[in-house]
Amino acid sequence: MMRRLALGAAAMSMMIGEIAPAQTVSSPVIAATAEPAVIAAPPYQPQDKDERGLWMQMDEQERQLRNSNFVIRDQALNDYVRGVFCRVVGPRCSEIRVYVIRTAYFNANIAPNGMMQIWSGLLLRTRNEAQLAAVLAHEYVHYQNHHSLMLFREARGRAAGAAWLSMFGLVGALLAIGQISAIFQFSRAQEADADAESVGLIARAGYDPREVPKIWEQFRAEADATAAARGTKSRKDKNGGLFASHPPTAERVTALTAEAKKFSLSDKWQTGDAPYRAALEASWSSFIDDQVKLNDFGGTEFLIAYLARDGWTPNLNYARGELYRARGRPDDLKAATGFYRDAANASGGPVEAWRGLGLSLLRTGDQPGGQAALKTYLERKPDASDKSMIAMLAGGTQ
Amino acid sequence: MKRMTKLALMGIAIGLATAPALAGYKLVPKGVPIAVAKSTLMVTPSTDWNRLGARPGRNAESWTLDGLTLDDLTFYGGIANDTTLFRDSKKKTEPLPRFSSTMLAPDIAQLFESSYRVSIGTSLMSIDSVEPATFAGRPGFHFSYTFVIQGEEVKRKGEATGAVIGGKLYLITFEAPVIHYFDATHGAAKSVVDSAKI
Repeated sequence: MMRRLALGAAAMSMMIGEIAPAQTVSSPVIAATAEPAVIAAPPYQPQDKDERGLWMQMDEQERQLRNSNFVIRDQALNDYVRGVFCRVVGPRCSEIRVYVIRTAYFNANIAPNGMMQIWSGLLLRTRNEAQLAAVLAHEYVHYQNHHSLMLFREARGRAAGAAWLSMFGLVGALLAIGQISAIFQFSRAQEADADAESVGLIARAGYDPREVPKIWEQFRAEADATAAARGTKSRKDKNGGLFASHPPTAERVTALTAEAKKFSLSDKWQTGDAPYRAALEASWSSFIDDQVKLNDFGGTEFLIAYLARDGWTPNLNYARGELYRARGRPDDLKAATGFYRDAANASGGPVEAWRGLGLSLLRTGDQPGGQAALKTYLERKPDASDKSMIAMLAGGTQ
Repeated sequence: MKRMTKLALMGIAIGLATAPALAGYKLVPKGVPIAVAKSTLMVTPSTDWNRLGARPGRNAESWTLDGLTLDDLTFYGGIANDTTLFRDSKKKTEPLPRFSSTMLAPDIAQLFESSYRVSIGTSLMSIDSVEPATFAGRPGFHFSYTFVIQGEEVKRKGEATGAVIGGKLYLITFEAPVIHYFDATHGAAKSVVDSAKI
């Protein structure tokens, strides 16, 4: 609640163009020590009427986004993402509001006023803190280098400014979060710029810059896996949709790898696997559930298998069971019973594994086995939301 | 940005092209038994409803009282094995899950949830209860759900009642915004569901 109020105040001060007070020079007490005095720059403010106009439009969008049902309010997760972001970009991180959005697709975006969105589908896919840091840094560079403003001026120079501006009217009408991001499609040169600078930013923050190209290697491999399971052509080199303005992914991998090589190897570089996993632990089940329900068998299986690189945990086995049961071919159901069994029998396994096991067994014709598993589920989760249906399927009195 | 302009133009073009179809509501008079969703499913409404001309799928049809975004009664009449609930309009990039005759009630609720999540692009949807029910005089199921469409933010509530008969799925869903509309039209919708016969 406090946070919301603070954000509201920040947005309001931007709306009325009030200049925030400059952060003061370090106090005399600190200056007396041996440490050099740090003069923090005041937060950036829009400089002219073009930029003020852009900011005002986006402040209005942000006002709506802030109240959206899709914003994830989990304080611990938000604090974690902000912590990584501030580590990478330094004190200017205070100029940016990062919103973690519950949507299963892979995307992040930033508006010129400093409203950044990180989608939960991205958090499911970046594999460590270094990769998350790279995405945050990439978006920050768009903000820092005023890419939106440059695009706006360029468009106006071509006498298309009116058309460009009119799109802001559309925002109100269309409002879909994905479509807001479509407005800020940066040029390819700007994307390449953001990619290159992001590598430097994370390396200087102590993250392993070699992790950055991996994001796109993973993206390409996942696109291949999705296509293989669907029997379609891989869209890894399709530059449409969310990535229409970005350089082709193959090109990005090459450029980012070259960029990372500019830094001499350091044994102090971190990837931050463990803290990343810990930060996502509480949200992970709902993120993977969102992914399973996207009906993307190949891509989801690829993701789960990667996450299981250090061994199959009960939760991973359960997720795999859910994925196979959802597709529901006879072979899938047999495979799913195996995954559910592994999950259910492990200590600390999700109780829902018994439900999945029971339903899969019933569908493969093993009625006694299925009913027994469902009974176990009900014993362990007596307040299940589907208890009366499960009780009937378990052969109860319902 | 080109994409936005294109989207807007497409929107207008689609609007113009489909306007006659969208406007094609037909009165469903109360008290008259009527076959729905091109199937043998028969219902008898207790109030007048409006049937939408455009079908959500080959074996589906929608009725409304105040407009589809305010209350939506949709009939699925005999969805066959290995077919989708509604039109698979983005088959290549975002294919919908398919119904299987072996599905149990919880699987069907999940199929429904997944179909909605994919087609409206939301991650805010949940199945809130699943229970046994009688549908058209046969043993069936009933489940309730809630969802929010991304970018629209209206919380909607829904109820589905159905059964698998002869390997085909028959289902009637009713959904409306939680605020006012769900409660206001729930009774009219329920009486349609209760009148179902096959």
